[in-house]
Amino acid sequence: MTENIDDTILNMVKNLKPTTTDLRNTKCEFTPVKRPYSPTSNESSYEEPTPIKKLKRDPKLDMSYVGSPMEIRRIRADLVGARNTILTLEGRISHMHSVRKQMQMMFDEENHVLKRQSEHDKKSILDLEDRLQTIRKREIEVKKELAEVHNKYQQLKIRSNEEIETLEKSIEDMKEETRHMESEENGIVSGLERRITQLETMLEAAEEDAEAQKKLADELRKRLSENTSLQKDFDMKEQELQKANFYIKELEYAKENILEFHEQAKTQAYKLAHYIELEKENELFKEENSRLKDEIRNKLILEEEVHDLKNRLTKFKEYEKKLSELQVQETQNAMCLSEWRAVARGICESSDSDSVLQHLLRSAVERLQQQELTLTSEKVEMESQLKSITHEEKVAKSELEKCQKLILELKQTGEQKQNLIHRMQKKLLLVSRERDSYRLQLDSYERDLTMSLANTTTGGQIQSQKDRIENLERIVDGYRDMVSKLENDLQNAQPNAHSDMVSIRSEQITRLQDEIQQLKNENEMLRERRDELEIQLESCAIGDDTLQGGKAVHMQNNPLSDYLSKREQHTEKLEQEVERLKRKIKNMEEGIESSKLGDITMTAKEVQTLKEEIKSHETQAQMLKEFFKSQMQDFRNVIYMLLGYKIDRTQNSLYKLRSMYAEQPDDQLCFQVDKDGDLNLLENEFSATLESMINLHLKHQKSIPVFLSAITMDLFNNKTMTKTFQLD
Amino acid sequence: MTSAAQKSKSAITLKGSSAIVCDYLNFGINSILFQRGLYPPENFTAEEEYGLTILMSTDNKIKHFLTTTLGKLKEWLAEKVVNKVALVITNVKTLEVMERWDFIVEYEADSKGEAEQVSEKPLKQIKNEIRDVLKQIASSVAYLPLLDCLCSFDIQIYTKDNLQMPDEWAEAEPAHIKNAQTVKMRSFSTQLHKMDTVVTYKNED
Repeated sequence: MTENIDDTILNMVKNLKPTTTDLRNTKCEFTPVKRPYSPTSNESSYEEPTPIKKLKRDPKLDMSYVGSPMEIRRIRADLVGARNTILTLEGRISHMHSVRKQMQMMFDEENHVLKRQSEHDKKSILDLEDRLQTIRKREIEVKKELAEVHNKYQQLKIRSNEEIETLEKSIEDMKEETRHMESEENGIVSGLERRITQLETMLEAAEEDAEAQKKLADELRKRLSENTSLQKDFDMKEQELQKANFYIKELEYAKENILEFHEQAKTQAYKLAHYIELEKENELFKEENSRLKDEIRNKLILEEEVHDLKNRLTKFKEYEKKLSELQVQETQNAMCLSEWRAVARGICESSDSDSVLQHLLRSAVERLQQQELTLTSEKVEMESQLKSITHEEKVAKSELEKCQKLILELKQTGEQKQNLIHRMQKKLLLVSRERDSYRLQLDSYERDLTMSLANTTTGGQIQSQKDRIENLERIVDGYRDMVSKLENDLQNAQPNAHSDMVSIRSEQITRLQDEIQQLKNENEMLRERRDELEIQLESCAIGDDTLQGGKAVHMQNNPLSDYLSKREQHTEKLEQEVERLKRKIKNMEEGIESSKLGDITMTAKEVQTLKEEIKSHETQAQMLKEFFKSQMQDFRNVIYMLLGYKIDRTQNSLYKLRSMYAEQPDDQLCFQVDKDGDLNLLENEFSATLESMINLHLKHQKSIPVFLSAITMDLFNNKTMTKTFQLD
Repeated sequence: MTSAAQKSKSAITLKGSSAIVCDYLNFGINSILFQRGLYPPENFTAEEEYGLTILMSTDNKIKHFLTTTLGKLKEWLAEKVVNKVALVITNVKTLEVMERWDFIVEYEADSKGEAEQVSEKPLKQIKNEIRDVLKQIASSVAYLPLLDCLCSFDIQIYTKDNLQMPDEWAEAEPAHIKNAQTVKMRSFSTQLHKMDTVVTYKNED
């Protein structure tokens, strides 16, 4: 309702405005601006325009005095124009009056309407006041609720924080556990973690919601304060409906917000209810987690057991294998043993029990060994005998061979001799035949002689001669036969020496003998040569071959001796070096020359780099020194300026202090640091003058700083005094 | 010399023969030094002689040593007091004689009397003989054991007892080789000097 009213008023005001502006164009002084703001003062504003009109006319009447006829004419024309304008203006004024009357009418109507409107508005304001009060009550309620919610929220926050802490702890614990169990429990842990993260996100959402609620509450508070201010305004300016409306609107907006807040509170409550569920879920998860931990523990135990059992199983398998092997071995051994026993029985030729068998076997073996020993010794003897015998045999064989050779030679000579005998026999046969023939001849000659003696007749003689010739011819034939026969024989027997006779043979023999002699000589010579060569060979083997008489000379500085002398020098040098190095090593072992060796063993590069390093370090050190010097100087200056004493350390643990205000440059205080670290004042000319201060500050108060400051003060006073005196 | 020139153009006197022998020894010893690797090959330079390329040492010390030694030897050869010349190769570390090259000198036509001995043998023939010996020396590397140790050499001259020892010379220990193996090379003769070249080396068995 109120809105509609407002709209109508606003529209009215807007519609009015253009007309007023038109009026303003024509009548510059007419200003209806205040009319909408003060509808009560309508009458006064209506009367205002008239005096202004009068003011306008008066200057125009005054202008009629002035001027020449030209001017008068002009003025008349002007006057006519003015009269015309006046007429037009009067017309206009009348028109304006009519318009004003219309306006008055309209305004009256409007006023009426507005009065009614205001009444209506008053009613509506009362309604609104009522409403506002109800809203206030509700607001208080809402505030209470808000406080409650706040409390709840704080509690919830604390609890949630605690829970978050506990949850975080549990998460950390779980993380540690998960780290332990990661290999086996990755899946579950990741699930749990996921759930935890979900819970965390939920918690975060809840926190965010709470924060949003807080913000809302703040906003509400602000709005409430705004509302209160609005209320004040409302109380003070009940007429200002627009503002009220605006506030109403705001309030409505706030109301809506409150509704929203209500809803949000409800959702919050719902979420709180849900939070318990989440807690329950969390507990469930915790239980599950503990359960899983137990399971994992059990699983680990079981795995360990399984592992243990596996190990044992493998061991047992190995044992089994070994056992089977051992059984097989045992059976083999048993077989072997039985065989051995059988063998032993066979050897010992006894059927005693097994226990006695060993001893028997041992004794038998010992016996056999002894026998073997004796047999081996015999064998060795036999072998040596065999060797000697074989040697003898060889000797005998060689002798045999010699003998056989001799026999062969003898046989050959025998054959030769037999041949000779054969030939001799043949010769003998020949000779005997010759003798026979000669005898026959002799006989025939004797017979001839006797025949010639007995028969001196020629006839007889002729006869006898004929006989003789015949006989001789026969003999000759016989000879011829023999000769031919002998020749054949000879040819058969000795084809080479077919015509050899004994003389030729002997010649041959002598020739052969000479030859033999010659060969023998040659043999002798060769043997000698061989002996000689053997001696030479022996000398060669020994290494005594080159010098046979005379002497060997060579140049003294031959390459070999040169080389050897050089080598000797070299070795001497090396020995010296070795000696030097040995000494060095000895020194090094004693740790004297370790640094030197270090330098030696380093390469040039390293040395270079080290040198550079040293240089850089030196420069650095130099820089540091300078820096420290300057710093020290600054520090000393600052100390001098701050404390008024220049402190110098002349000796170790002797400090000289000179005050800034010292009267003379020799006025110094000497402090010495003793073994305990205490400072002792040493006596000098200056300190002798400060006895009272020493007594007071050092002996009584036992404070050096106070003593020093007292001196400073004293000196300063003295100096300033003197200065002031000087000034005076 | 004058009488020799009168007799024949190609006649060689005792001194000439000694010079030939010494030339042979110079080349032979250098060749051996190279072949047996006593000095690094870069210290040798090739020279043409006897129709052969022979590597001669460029080391001044060796050159000086050889010239002085052979100069003295030349005198002694003319005096016929030398039995043999031995090139001894010694292991420097152990001082063991590894190898000995004997150049055994025999004096031919010794019965003819002292002076005015000449040889009618043509020089070309002698040189051919020397070439054959040098060839044999060069090829001896094939069967001689490798000298895989640091070695140096010495030249010993085996003389007759009645020798006046000059300065810078000393009596040497005869270089005996134990368990020696001997290989005889060809020999050559100037009809005044007969030179047998024999290498004796240590048998490694």
